[in-house]
Amino acid sequence: MASHDESSVSRKKSSDSVDEISTFNAENMQNNAKIISYSRTFMSIIGGVIAGILGFTGLTGFIFYFLVMAIMSVGLAAKAGFSAHPYFDSWNQILLDGFLGGLLSFVLFWTFAYDMVHIF
Amino acid sequence: MEKKEPWARVSVVGVLGVLLLSHAAYSTIQYRSLLKITDEQFSGPPINVVMELIAGLVLCMWAALTVPGKFLSILPHSDENRVVALPTNLDFMIFNHRGKAFPLSIDAK
Repeated sequence: MASHDESSVSRKKSSDSVDEISTFNAENMQNNAKIISYSRTFMSIIGGVIAGILGFTGLTGFIFYFLVMAIMSVGLAAKAGFSAHPYFDSWNQILLDGFLGGLLSFVLFWTFAYDMVHIF
Repeated sequence: MEKKEPWARVSVVGVLGVLLLSHAAYSTIQYRSLLKITDEQFSGPPINVVMELIAGLVLCMWAALTVPGKFLSILPHSDENRVVALPTNLDFMIFNHRGKAFPLSIDAK
C-alpha cells in the first residue's frame, strides 16, 4: 500500500432499499475488527491465568470464561459509546464476534497456571 | 503517543495488572505450601489474594480496552473520512469497473 495517500477502499453493501447502495470504509472496518480480536484474545489469556490461580476445575472454569467474555462485551460496547452504527455493521460484531475464539487460549493458560500454582 | 502496531504497544496499566497477577500466583503457591504443612485441603485462596486477583483483572481489562487503539468511523461521509489526497499512481488505475453502478452524488465541501 502506498504510504502517502489517504484514499480509502470502499466496498459495496446493498441495504434494504433498492435505490440506495451504502458503502463502508473497509480499512476502518478491519481496524475495528482487529481491535476487538486483540482485546478478546488478551482477556482470554488473563482469564485463563486467573482461573488457574483460583483453582477452578471443570465447569466452573468455563463459566468463568463466559463471564469474562460477557464483561468484555459490555466493555467493548462502552468503548464504542453504546452505538454500533458509526463503527460497526451490526451489534453482533461487538457482542458475539470472537466469543468462542479465545476459548482454546483460555484453556491453555488455565491448565498452565493451575499446574504452576497447584501441582508444582 | 507514537504510532505503533497494537501488539507492540504496552501500557503501564497492563504491566501493573500482570504484576499483580504474578504476585497473587506467588502468594497462592506460598499459601498452598503452608496448607501442606498443616495437612489441610485447598478450598480457595485467602481473601487478600482474591482481592488482588480482582484488582489485576480490572486493570488488565482496562488495558485490553484502551491499548489496541480507538474505534474508527466506517461511514464514508463522516468528517474524519474525507479523501484529502489522490493516489500518485493514477496512470495505472482502471475505471471501467462496477463503480459506475453507484449513484452520482457530488457535494463539494
